[in-house]
Amino acid sequence: MFLDRFRRQARTLLALSAAFAGLAAAPAHAVPSYARQTGMECSGCHVGAFGPQLTPAGIRFKLGGYTDSDGKDGKIPLSGMLLADFSHTRQAQDPPPDGLEANDNTSFDQASLFIAGRASDHVGGFMQLTYDGVARNFGLDNTDLRAATTTSLGGQDLLLGLSLNNNPTVQDPFNTLSAWGYPYVGPAAGFGTGDAASLINGGLGGIVVGLSGYAVWNRDWYAELGSYRSMTPTLQSRLGLGRDDRKLEGNAYWRLAWMHDAKSSAAHLGLFGWSARLAPDRTVPGPVDGYRDIGIDGSYQFLGTREHVWSVFGSLTGELQHTGADGTRHRLIEQRLNASYHYRQTWGASGGFFATRGSDPAAATRGLVLQADWTPWGKEEAEPPAGWQWLNLKFGAQYWHYGTFAGTHSGAADHDTFSVFAWSAF
Amino acid sequence: MDTRACLAVACLLACNVDARAGDAAAGGKVFATECAECHSVREGKDKKGPSLYGVVNAKAAQRAGFAYSDALRASGLAWTPENLATYLADPRKLVPGGKMKYDGLPDAGRRDDLIAYLQAVAKP
Repeated sequence: MFLDRFRRQARTLLALSAAFAGLAAAPAHAVPSYARQTGMECSGCHVGAFGPQLTPAGIRFKLGGYTDSDGKDGKIPLSGMLLADFSHTRQAQDPPPDGLEANDNTSFDQASLFIAGRASDHVGGFMQLTYDGVARNFGLDNTDLRAATTTSLGGQDLLLGLSLNNNPTVQDPFNTLSAWGYPYVGPAAGFGTGDAASLINGGLGGIVVGLSGYAVWNRDWYAELGSYRSMTPTLQSRLGLGRDDRKLEGNAYWRLAWMHDAKSSAAHLGLFGWSARLAPDRTVPGPVDGYRDIGIDGSYQFLGTREHVWSVFGSLTGELQHTGADGTRHRLIEQRLNASYHYRQTWGASGGFFATRGSDPAAATRGLVLQADWTPWGKEEAEPPAGWQWLNLKFGAQYWHYGTFAGTHSGAADHDTFSVFAWSAF
Repeated sequence: MDTRACLAVACLLACNVDARAGDAAAGGKVFATECAECHSVREGKDKKGPSLYGVVNAKAAQRAGFAYSDALRASGLAWTPENLATYLADPRKLVPGGKMKYDGLPDAGRRDDLIAYLQAVAKP
């Protein structure tokens, strides 16, 4: 039975992968990491020479449909990623998390295969297939397939694009929303930002499919509008995603932002939202729940000559929930404020404040996450040794501190977690 | 300044390379800020844009193996310091239809520094 299910999942994932790889391989440019596609180092598009925090060049590459290249043929559209960590929690967990020990866990968190590259001058994207080393399952992870073209409006450049993706905010070009928000990795045995989260903050990530249309006018103004549909339980199962019986009904995802790239610095200010009707159980006909998420976000990056790079970025998200079954209403507010500094795109220090609170006191969680990291390669002046040019590495240490956890201050710090991690991309 | 003086200065700028000599060290910083994401000054290393090693006074669109735009290929330009300065001020004005996604460097002094740097890195 397990083998049958695995075979079905493998067939579905392989079919999806082959379809995209076939597209991406057509003009023979398509790359494991986009660095090979463009000839640019990781530092060209990522702060700290390792993903996913984007520089303005990375934002342009993403919005342009992942299609820029160095014009050379023969690139293979495959890439990989490995992540492992050791973590220590202040108090051992009882019961232990699934697949882990009560404390002092060394875990192989994930191995991912990316099919990532350009299919033509106007089509590109990525599809991530991930083996979760803790849950020990294999499934479809973040996916963002794009088509983009440029024209002009009012004498200024107008970029028009489409994104087909499976996780609301994965298509976002900034690092302030959930899919690519700080911290970019966390310990497998950690507690993250708590259990309460808004719908736009990963509430349906991976189990929906959505199409967004977007436009960038005069390089400074960004607008996006899209909508999502739930995957059927059969498709979820075939993609290795388990089964979630919630079903999205009418919904609209939107985004507006002003952004500016001054070369030695960059900034953005934006608004975002997702309004959705969600049936809590598709197998039981009944009233649906309503969600109205709306937020504001912004960022500033100082880039200079790239020797000293620092940034501040944050978001404030509000959610109004309406429960169809009993007519009750709930509020949820999420705050994020982060900062980072990188020296020579190699040594990094980051810190972030997170807070969630709502009409349910048990939703309240707040704390800090601090990170120091080292990325030896990924830039022109520091490339890997001969024979290892395909490899990039990041080593880091992270500390999560909780002032409030699930509505209580007392004992919140027992959830404090220290971890060290090794992260590679190739 | 009267018209004749303006013409004299313009002639001097057009004819005398030394008249636009910049600071190569400062130009290195301009390169790091404005250009290095897409270009390298390492010989033979193309990124999204071609290697700029030895670009000063070279013919445009001549690096073998790099996919230049048709517009740049047809331009017949040589990258003299003057042409480079004009191009860097507004790439799409000098080469309409070119594919370099760069709005331009409006500060003439920084352009001269950058050109001095590009000259300096290619000297043996």
